[in-house]
Amino acid sequence: MSEMVKKTLRYAASFFLIVTLNFAFPRLMPGDPVKNLIGEDVYVSEAVMEELRAEMGLNRPLYEQFTAYIGDLLRFDLGYSYHLHSPVAEVLRERIGWTLLFVGVSVLMGAVLGTLLGAYAGWKPETKVNRLVCCGFIALSCTPPYFLALLCLDIFAFELGLFPFKGFYDVPTPGSVMYHMFLPVTVMALFSASRNFLIMRGSVIQEKGQLYALYARAKGLYNISILFRHVIKNASLPIITLLALDFGFLFSGALFTEIVFSLNGMGTLIYDAIIGKDYPVLQGSFLVIALAVLLANMLADLLYAVADPRVRRPT
Amino acid sequence: MRWTTSRVFCIAALSLIFLGGIYLLMLPSESEGASGIETPAAEADAETDANSSEGPEKVLKIATPNVIKSESLIGDYYLGIFAHLSNFPLMQMSEDGKIVGRLADHYEVSEDHREWTFYIRDDLYWSDGVKVTPEDVQFSMLYYGEKNPSGRWINETLESSSVSDTDNSVTFKFNKPYTRIDLEFTTYNILPAHVWESIENPMEYSSKGPYVGCGPYYIESVDLNTARLIFRKNPYWKGKKCAFDKVEVDWYASEDAACLALEKGEADTYYKYASSYPYANIERLEKTGDFNFVEKDSAGMCYLGITLNEAPRSDLQFREALAYAINYEELMQLDTLGYGSVPNRGLVPPGMEYYKPTEKCTYDPEKAREILKKAGYEDRNGNGIVENKNGKDILLELMILPGYERDAELLQEYFRAVGIDIEIENVDQNTYMDRKDTSRYELVFSRTTPWGMLMHSGLGTGYFDSRRYGYIEDPAFTGLCDQILNTTDSETLRSCSYSLQDYYAEELPVIPVYWKKVVTPYNKRFEGWHYNNLDGIYTLDTFLDLHEV
Repeated sequence: MSEMVKKTLRYAASFFLIVTLNFAFPRLMPGDPVKNLIGEDVYVSEAVMEELRAEMGLNRPLYEQFTAYIGDLLRFDLGYSYHLHSPVAEVLRERIGWTLLFVGVSVLMGAVLGTLLGAYAGWKPETKVNRLVCCGFIALSCTPPYFLALLCLDIFAFELGLFPFKGFYDVPTPGSVMYHMFLPVTVMALFSASRNFLIMRGSVIQEKGQLYALYARAKGLYNISILFRHVIKNASLPIITLLALDFGFLFSGALFTEIVFSLNGMGTLIYDAIIGKDYPVLQGSFLVIALAVLLANMLADLLYAVADPRVRRPT
Repeated sequence: MRWTTSRVFCIAALSLIFLGGIYLLMLPSESEGASGIETPAAEADAETDANSSEGPEKVLKIATPNVIKSESLIGDYYLGIFAHLSNFPLMQMSEDGKIVGRLADHYEVSEDHREWTFYIRDDLYWSDGVKVTPEDVQFSMLYYGEKNPSGRWINETLESSSVSDTDNSVTFKFNKPYTRIDLEFTTYNILPAHVWESIENPMEYSSKGPYVGCGPYYIESVDLNTARLIFRKNPYWKGKKCAFDKVEVDWYASEDAACLALEKGEADTYYKYASSYPYANIERLEKTGDFNFVEKDSAGMCYLGITLNEAPRSDLQFREALAYAINYEELMQLDTLGYGSVPNRGLVPPGMEYYKPTEKCTYDPEKAREILKKAGYEDRNGNGIVENKNGKDILLELMILPGYERDAELLQEYFRAVGIDIEIENVDQNTYMDRKDTSRYELVFSRTTPWGMLMHSGLGTGYFDSRRYGYIEDPAFTGLCDQILNTTDSETLRSCSYSLQDYYAEELPVIPVYWKKVVTPYNKRFEGWHYNNLDGIYTLDTFLDLHEV
């Protein structure tokens, strides 16, 4: 069996496992979705509760619920949100677009910034500027996201009045969207960059001591060429892994940033679904995240092969 | 490449210029600032605007941490609350806590309390020009009963309904006596039948607006991406003229962000359903000099619930000892920063109708120890914890939700000081609701909401009656609840309510920990704020009376 077929089978098995866990995990949580739907301060009789359970299909045995869930999935039907009163696919479509925009841009910016600065800082770790930058990124990566987001809001929106407090836009124009997205994207890009910076720095420090780097220097290559043509290629393998993992983060959004800047993204969607025991939303969201992570891992496998010839060499 | 100081400076300067350029590009232009949303009522609006606002548009801005999560008028909890302004409920609470008409002018109830007739105001028009009719009310209630999960009780208990166009009334006949329908009907927004009858499933219906309304304002738009709900003047409103052309409700997912926005002047007031402006931020807001505050007693409060199914919790003496062990003043000061008060043993806060002053809760750990000793709970093994009558150390579990950790730790400290050990159980919302509704806990520290205090027979009984979400099975208590439920006579209600508060004070099935105040800031430029226990400042009177100083 070719390697490709094996990998495809492996991903298919992972996908089935994920689908099963998606169904099981929300139902393992304590509490009753119907009670959540009714609310804390409203009383309805047990008969009405049962009626609602039946309407939501929650009175059926678990295996029946599972087969119905799989059947719906095969028809690309993700179900209907108990709390948002909308088909899950519609809710996800709207939220994913915005989340991709602000988290996707942040992850990409963070990757570029963190990788380049991290590579340079690893290449010349002894300089004052690099030490300072390194301290800065360590501090950033240790700062709680909620605090950093709130600090930025306080300084740039409240004190300086440079940016708005909330929302994706005031009017749906590119300028307004960029104006509103600047602060949340900056906060998240800085976070992402700090992680990438530290990993890249460590990786370059390790790689530059290898013999191939010494050989390149012996050949008379400039430092900049050694770093960007040889070292960075090998040092970027952990970054590729991190980016693949970040894809999950990409779709699950950035809960704290969404809360501070009142953004209607995937993070708050999942959080609210957990609190409200909105099974269909949880199942749909986790499915999308799982698919994204699987896809990212497949891409990472391909990128490994591009970056590292040892991976594509037959064993 | 060497990082000389001048090079670093140049790069920093260039970066700043670059970022500044991007920022200038991003700033919304003047033309972008004005929304171009067209509504069906736009023509009528234009007419109204021409009459009302020769100058710039007058906008009232409200900041709130109550997040609207879906654009469904019936399905979304907070959108439903805000929509009281545009789609009046039948009844409302007055400033003195009485239930009075809103969409209804007045009501009559039959002697057996099964038949309720609401007489509808005849000066109300929907924002599309159609008159509000009793059919709209009948249609809405049947709609809620059939389609809305939390309105299913209507379907369960409603036997028949009829309308009379001669006296503009709607009559609901229930299959059992129902004395608190007037209160129940303070929450259901009345919908225009001619619009909603074509919508098969209203719960699933969502729209960015406009929604036809009959109040002084109608909902022009609700946008989850801007986090903003906009009300526009109802061109067919015949009542008192409102001072504002538009009301903007801006929601913030973080309370901190909402407070900062208010302080910055992005909003004129702050509203959080059933809650106060964060006490810790009041002083900071006061310092700006731009805000005044409405300060009122809240119907909500914090309490220690004690399930009575097992000893020692079922022992009144033991509960007395618990009550004396709590340092009420300290807890109140810590949680409300002084915007609260030590409660009475009768539980019910002073802002509520039929409040009876009962004995004040007092902190006396020495007395608590004495009571325990007299009741036979003694520390025989000298480990600091008293033993129950079987000789085992008393250890009680205290269930709390996240956010109450500090209170729980203090309670643990107070109770340990008198010899009662406490184990804190911090549970998530789902577990909490599940266990609380089935009384599977020993102690709980929690809060009540104004609506919660009013539900069932009122006075907090919905939380504590075992036939609802509580644990009190004592016939003396449930009997009083039933008496309240069986009458609309105010004198009987008063006498039963007083007896109920005496029951709380004497039997201590629940220990009130502190009462609190609702503090609502508002910009000094505006006057005419009203408040009631159910809606806070978000009342019809506020919107009708509010004006610029």
